[in-house]
Formats: sequence, C-alpha cells, structure tokens
Amino acid sequence: MTNQPDIRILAPAGAAKTIRRELSRRRFLSFAAAAGSAGLLAACAPNGSPTSAQASGGPLESKLSIYTWGDYDAPDVLDAFTADLGPKISLSSFNSNEEMVAKLVGARGTSGYDIVVPTGTFVAQMAEHGLLAELNHDLIPNLKHVDSAFLGRAWDPDNQYSICKAWGTTGFVYDVTAIDRELKDWNDFIDAAQNEASGKTSVLDDPAELTGLYFWANGIPWTTTDPDELDAAEAFLVNELAPHISAFDSYPGGSAIPQATQMLMQSYNGDARLGMLESPDPERWKYVLGSPATEIWMDNWAIAAGAPNPEAAHAFIDYVLSPENALAELDYIGYDTGAKGIEQMASDAGLPMLDLVFFTREQIATMHEGELTEAQERIVQIWNATKAAAGA
Amino acid sequence: MRRRLPGFLLAAPAWAWLAIFFVAPVAMVVWFSFGYKPSIFATQATDKLSFDRYAEVFSPTFFATFQNTLWVGIVGTVLCFLIGLPVAYWMAVKAPPSRRGLLVALVMVPFWTNFLVRTIGWQVILSPDGWLSTALQAVGFEPLAILNTRGAVLLGVVYNYLPLMILPLYVAFDRVNGPLREASKDLGAGKWTTFFRITLPLAQPGIIAGVLLVYIPLMGDYITATVLGGAKGNMVGQLVASQFQTAQNWALGSAMAVVLIVVILATVAIGAAIVWFVTLPIRASHRLVIGAPATTPASASIREEVTA
Amino acid sequence: MTTATTSKAEAPAALPGAESPGTVVIDAVTKHYGDATAVDRLSLTIEAGEFISLLGPSGCGKTTTLRMIAGFEEPDAGDIRVSGRSLLGVPPYRRDVNTVFQAYALFPHMSVAENVAYGLQQKRTPKSEIRDRVVDALDLAQMRGFADRKPTQLSGGQQQRVALARALVNRPSVLLLDEPLGALDRQLREEMQLELKLLQSRLGITFVFVTHDQGEALSMSDRIAIMRSGRIEQLADADTVYARPASAYVAAFVGQQNFFRGTVVEGGAVDSAHSLVYDMSAELPVGSTGLAAVRPEFVSIEADVAADASGAANTARGTLIGVSHLGETMQYLVRLGDDQSLIARRPSPEAPQLAIGDAVVCSWRAESVLLFPADDAASASGYVAPPTA
Repeated sequence: MTNQPDIRILAPAGAAKTIRRELSRRRFLSFAAAAGSAGLLAACAPNGSPTSAQASGGPLESKLSIYTWGDYDAPDVLDAFTADLGPKISLSSFNSNEEMVAKLVGARGTSGYDIVVPTGTFVAQMAEHGLLAELNHDLIPNLKHVDSAFLGRAWDPDNQYSICKAWGTTGFVYDVTAIDRELKDWNDFIDAAQNEASGKTSVLDDPAELTGLYFWANGIPWTTTDPDELDAAEAFLVNELAPHISAFDSYPGGSAIPQATQMLMQSYNGDARLGMLESPDPERWKYVLGSPATEIWMDNWAIAAGAPNPEAAHAFIDYVLSPENALAELDYIGYDTGAKGIEQMASDAGLPMLDLVFFTREQIATMHEGELTEAQERIVQIWNATKAAAGA
Repeated sequence: MRRRLPGFLLAAPAWAWLAIFFVAPVAMVVWFSFGYKPSIFATQATDKLSFDRYAEVFSPTFFATFQNTLWVGIVGTVLCFLIGLPVAYWMAVKAPPSRRGLLVALVMVPFWTNFLVRTIGWQVILSPDGWLSTALQAVGFEPLAILNTRGAVLLGVVYNYLPLMILPLYVAFDRVNGPLREASKDLGAGKWTTFFRITLPLAQPGIIAGVLLVYIPLMGDYITATVLGGAKGNMVGQLVASQFQTAQNWALGSAMAVVLIVVILATVAIGAAIVWFVTLPIRASHRLVIGAPATTPASASIREEVTA
Repeated sequence: MTTATTSKAEAPAALPGAESPGTVVIDAVTKHYGDATAVDRLSLTIEAGEFISLLGPSGCGKTTTLRMIAGFEEPDAGDIRVSGRSLLGVPPYRRDVNTVFQAYALFPHMSVAENVAYGLQQKRTPKSEIRDRVVDALDLAQMRGFADRKPTQLSGGQQQRVALARALVNRPSVLLLDEPLGALDRQLREEMQLELKLLQSRLGITFVFVTHDQGEALSMSDRIAIMRSGRIEQLADADTVYARPASAYVAAFVGQQNFFRGTVVEGGAVDSAHSLVYDMSAELPVGSTGLAAVRPEFVSIEADVAADASGAANTARGTLIGVSHLGETMQYLVRLGDDQSLIARRPSPEAPQLAIGDAVVCSWRAESVLLFPADDAASASGYVAPPTA
C-alpha cells in the first residue's frame, strides 16, 4: 500500500481506513454482479447499431472523463497520465453496475463519460443496447501485455468492447488457532462450519455466492437452472448450513478478520488479503481458494458510446495497460490486472501475500464466470430463506 | 387594503412535495404489486393484474423474517422509550436551564457522523479482540461474545435511534411548564402522581412522535441490525431490497413493501389500542362528568348574595 | 426595621401549638438566591380567617414569601408555621394550604370538573363525595354550567374562577393567591375583587393575597403588608396604611404623593425651596433632611390673583402645565420650579376653571402633611413626584 487517498469523512483516523474500504471497489465486488441490469436495459429502446469509436489516432483531446467504482485506480497513475500525455482526468464513481447502466441509458449517448468500468456479466448486454463504443485496437498497442487467459471471455470473445481491468475470485479464510485441521475445499468449509466453527462462520452477502458455495462443493455448475438442483441447494442451505451462520458479510476483511470476530469466512481474495494484512496477527489466518470449483469475476475497461474524448480514452487504456502502470494499479487495488509477467514484477517489488492475488493456470481453470439466468429469482429466494433461517 | 394571501397557497409547496415524492411513488408501488415479472429481462408488467404476488409474499421465509423484524422493531422502540424517557425528563425539568442547549447538542452529537460509520465503530468496540473485550478479560471476564447476537442488534438500535426518541420527548416535557407541576403538588399529588397524571399525559404528543420516529424507520432499516447482529439482524427491509435490486422482481418487491407498510400501520394501531385499553380503568376512575346544571342552582352563588 | 418588631409585638405570646387553625406564622425567615437576598429575616403573623395582602413592586420578595408558605421554596433560615405546625421540610402536597396561581395553571387535558376534583382524588375522597363537593365548589365559583368543558374553552375570568374552585374545594385552612387578577381586564378585576372579599368572609378561610396593585390590596384586605427588599415596611389595615404611612416608601407606594425635600426646622417644618410644609406631629431632629408629603386630593388650587410673591406656609405658587379629567376628579399638574412640580386633584363638581399657563396658587392644611426622614432609596426609585419637562 504505497498511497492512501484522501478520505474526507468526519471520523476518527482509525475508522477512516475501514470506511474507505466500505466505500471502495476493492471491497465492493458488485453486490449484484450476477444480476443483470436487464430491467434498466429493457426499459430503454435498444438502438441496436453499435456505435463505432471515432478514434483514429488523431491528437488527444484536453480532457478525459472516467466513470468507475469508488477508489479503484491508483492516484499516482492518473496524475502521471495527465503529466505525460496532457488530458486532464475527471473521475466520477458509481456503487453498482445497475447505477452505471441507468446513467448511460438515461443519457442516451450524451452522458459525457469517456471510460466506464462494467463487470463482465454486463458487457454483452451493454454492447447489445448500444451503450458501449467499439475499441480501436490499433490505438491500444499495450494490449499485447495482457495475459491471453483474461482476454476473449465469453461475453466479448474478440475484446471488441472491453479489456480486463482487474479480476478476482472467491475462497475462504479460517482461524488456524481455532480450527486445528487443514481445510482444503468447500466441503471442508461446510464441515467446519457445521462443527468447530458453528456460530462463528460468515458467508458472502450475495445470492449467487451462497448457492455457488453448495454447487461448487458438489460439482454442479453454479449457473445451473435445474429446479431439482436449486431445490437441493435450498434444502441444504436452509436446513444444514443456516443454523451455523452468524453473519452474511461481503467484506470480512474490513473488520471481521482484523477484529477476529469469526473463525471461518467465505471471502473474495483481495478482501481477505487486505484483512490479513491489517490483522495484528496475520499468521492466525489462512486463505483457501474455493475448490473443486469457484468463481471468477472481471471488471473491464470500456468506452461509452458517444464518448466526447475517444482519443484520450484509448490513450488512457493503453497507458494503464503498460506493465509498470499495471503493477502500480495492482499494488493499489490488491487485485490482479491480468498483465503478462506481472506476478514476477510484483514479487520483485516485494508486495506481500501474492498468493492471494495470483493463481496458477490450473486454479484459474477451476474458476467459472457467473451468468444472469432465469433462475435469478429462485436464487434470491433461496438466499432470503437462508437468511431468515439463520436469523431465527 | 392589502389582499391577504390565501392560506392554502402557503401549504401548496408541501402538498406538491407530498404528492410528487410520497403519494405518487406509493401509488406506483401499490400498482406494481398487482403486476408480475414477465421475463428475466424485465422487472415488472401490469397488463395482467392479480393478487398472486401477495400470495407469494406470505411464504415461511417472509414470516420468519417478519417475526425477527417485529421483534427488533418493538423491543428496540420500547428500549429507546424506557431509556429516553428519564433522560428527556431530566433534561427538560431537572437540568439547569442554562445547560439545556448544551445537552440537546450533546444528544445530537452522534448525528454528526455517518450512521454506517458509527455502527461500524461499535463493531470494532464489541469484537472479541476489541479493547472492551480485552479490558473485560483483564479483570477476569470471558471474552466478549455479543457481536452477531440479538443483544448487539438492540445495542445498535438504541444507539442509533435514541436521539430520535429523546428530542421529541424533551420538547414535550419542556412544554409542560413548571406551574402545572406545582399546581399538582399544591393539590396534594406527590412526585409520581404528578408525573403520571400531569406531565406524562401532557407529553403525549411528544411520546407519540418519538415512538413513531423510532419505530417506523426502524422497521425499514436493515443496516443497523445487520452490521452488529449479523445473521441475527435479518430484517424484512433487506428482503424488499433484494427483490428490487437483486431479483429484479419489482412486482414481488412492491407487494412486500405494501405488506410492510400495512403491517407497520397495523402494529401502530394495535399498540395504540393496547395502551388505550390498559389505561382505560385508570382514566375511567379519574373521569368526572357533571352534566348540565339543574334548573335551580343547588346552592346560592356569591353573586346572588350580593344582589340579595 | 420597625415593622418587624411591630408584628412580633402583635403576637408576642403566640407559642407553637397555641396557634389556632388557619394561623400563619412566618418567623424570621430568610431566603437567598445566589448572592441576592429575596426575603430578609421576615416575620409576620397572620391571624386565622384574616385577609392579608402582601403588597410591593416586583422583586420585593412577596412571591417568594408566598411560595415558601406553599412549599415550593424552602427558607434558608427561620420557621414557617401554619395552624401551629412547622412546615419546614414538609413537601407542598402535605400542606394544608392551596394556591391560586398567577396564570391559573389549570390542567389543559382535564375538564373543569376533573380539575376541581383533582385535589380531592389525591386525598382518596369517596367518589360520591367528590362529585358533590365539586358541584358545590363550581356553584360557589359560578362555574357549574361549564363543568364538562376544557379550560381552553374558557375566558380568562372563567379560568380564574375555576382555579379558585379547584383550590377551595380542598377546604384548606389557608388560601394563597399569587396575583390572581393580574391577567383580567379592569372591570372584571374590580368585580372579582368584590367577590373574593365576600367569599373570604363567608368561608372564613385565611387568604394571603400577593399583589403589586395597591388598589386591589386596599379594597380587599384586612391588613396589608407593604414589602420592600425582602422585608415588611409596614403592616397595618388599609386606613392606616393610607393615612399614616410608616415611611416615605409606603406613602409613595400607596396612593400618590407630592414630596418636598428640605431641612427640618423647629416645629416640625421642612424648609423647602418652594414652600414651608408643616406636620405638627412629626418628631424629626432639627437640621436633618426631611421629606414632606401631601396627597394630591388634599391640595386645593386657585388662580393666583394676589400676585404676592411671598410664600405663606403650606402654600405653593406656580404655573399650570396640565389638566386632565379623571372622571370623578380633575387633576392639575403645576410647575413650581425647574426641579419640582405638584399634583392637585379636586372633585369634578367643584373644580376651578383654569387654563394651561395660568399662574396658580396651591395650598393645603398642615394636618394633611406627613413628614418623613429623607429616604434616598425611595426618592431614587422615583417615588418623589418627578419634575415635568
């Protein structure tokens, strides 16, 4: 953590850290990442024709407007961009993909935003509804530094609209002083939750992560829409797991890990890492990547349709994809940006706990993207039923 | 002559505000609640109306969550009342008048900070490794295990909502002026009788305001309870939010919201009825109706003596 | 103070226990508020069934005295006894005393009848008896027809009657009234004065009446205690207070006075700049500064036809600068010099026809003159008729 941004909130200095986290994208992995902004998109008349970027390598405009998650870019990188290339950056932030989509839909191409940062599950629909401009890859030579593992994802096979900004995954953290056996996978998580960690276990406060926990443990695709499988998930979560859950917490790294409130916590890798870095006793905690399967989520650089400064937008994306800037971004946000060889660079730079940032090819192969399906409502129902059972 | 501004014009902004930001949204919510979610890419449709969403609302999940919410709402409000009442009374009656402004400001101090921040602050204090727990362990207690329990939920609720109870009560007690209490004592009533028969009934509008100000937002709040109570702080507001935000089923979410509004109104009415019935015998015993005077006065008045 | 000894002398043998029901004895009571002394070693014995007024300007300690009898304030020193029983440390709700408050203090959430019943309910009086006594009390106050209304639906005068009924229904041995007529208009106030007096003599209850209105005090009281700075300046009946005020302060506060300041000479005269004023009965040391007082109604006025500048005793010459019609009397304002003016009042039928600017001569009889030692406090606080511009 090289650089702490200014947080202007009236609170004790100690709390500011926590607050920054609460408001930060580094913690805030879309509350409803898997839920589409389908409603909002459906509400606007799709204009179908994809807007092509009007960038052809001409001179850069003097300004650049970025609409992204709060506290999601290293301030040093932003300052350096302006210093090196000229365009002045104005940053705006959103708290959910839905909020961002709503704003773009409402403005119908006149939002004034150049760069937006949607989560992968949103990209296809946004492109389909004409909210995104096509990227001119000629102007983004640094694309070559991006690891092919994070390019060509299902929602945008040719990276026509989006390029990976950062990605993360889900696993769990446990207190080795309280659980004196090795937990290796989701089945161990469930077993520990039902035994020694009962009443001291938290799961992510997100419907898909909750049902995902069951599906991953049982070798079922977590995007399943099979009613029987969903029923089985509900029966298990409500009857077998809920009584042992003490909290639904999407960011245990914020306080549960530093304050040692729980023994066992389902968590995102970056959040767990921040929590452990902040714990007075990091050795007490162990992070386990979910297996045999788990999720992968990815946030992406994209250019809004009707962007007023397309040249600068392309220049910026190219700029942050350069290896040194990618490293600065990683250092700041704590998630992998997907650059080639960045693991070695991070290691050389002495960044801590990199095993919570980088994963092997084999591990990445076990990570699956979420998807918005017709089972969404059912999943929410299961999530609510589990919460009700846990709160009873 | 100056023409007077008609009174309703003064109220026009308030009515407009109410109509645009309260009546219209609530009407929309009610309207949506009779609709349905046609596909995963749409949130609601109202081309076919039915009560089906209401049938969906009354699931075991809803009842379990609602039970929890009611428990938090009622116990939290009662606690705020029991704690806020003596504090407000002391501030309005016993504290030196010159200090009252300061006391009101002190009550407001927590509001200077974002409520999420305040609540997270409690999370830190109450954690098993927090300073409070450490201090308690130092003097021989068990590590603090209050976080993620109902106790923590109530603590958070009282902490966040107590000022909303104290302020209206304070204003109400402040308005029951000294001479009335003195008159009561002068007529032979002790401190407690004076409090229950004069001060408390006259503070009634403030009590009602305080109870409603705490109870209604509390029933819809799912942040305070969740941050400190974890799974034990599961509230129905979260259920409604999940339908709108996550499930994208505005029809079902609206039906839940309508039921929540109805239940809040119903519990307030039931609560008022209970108080009314419980105090009925007491009020009846103090009631005195004389009725119209007899045609001939029972005893001679002074004026008659004067004229006689 | 002379009066303190006087009041003590009036009840010299009154031993605690020997005092009859309704007697109020205030014995050397002192009350401080911070540095200020509100009541200063005040002693006063009020006989059973007496109507006594505590009269004085605001801040004289009269209300504090009343509140100490009621029990809302505790004396810092001294003793208060009602019916022979010391009330020190006795809370207000255990005192056989009731109060009619300045702003009535009716309970707004109770009907008139319930207000009146309140005191009886506290004494666990049987319900049927409560009803009868409430009706009687309301009849007494002529408020029977308003029994079931709320106080907010009543006029000020009606509220005042309810407050009276609410206090009297308890049959206290002493009734305390704290400026109860202050909020009423003049006509209603005069009516109520008469009623209160009749009521008091009929019920035989001791009334302690606090007022700053001398007219009220004079019209109702058996005795008036004129208070000043926490002490009693004079305690006497209305006639005495009016005719034989014990000090310049009393003389100024009760009725109106023309004051002449000067040096006391042989024979009890004050040698003023404008007139020699005599009081044959005065016994002030020759050569000291004295204040002579003459009431306006004892001053006769006529056109100055003698053109004789030499002043006879008890005569003053000046210029008429104001005439006002007060109804039954005419009032004349006469300028005697730069720093002295004089008020004369004559009954309307026999008032002389004078015009402003006329030279006039005023005169009075030596017996009408009161002579006091000069009282700086009294003159400083404006009781000497001020010079008119």
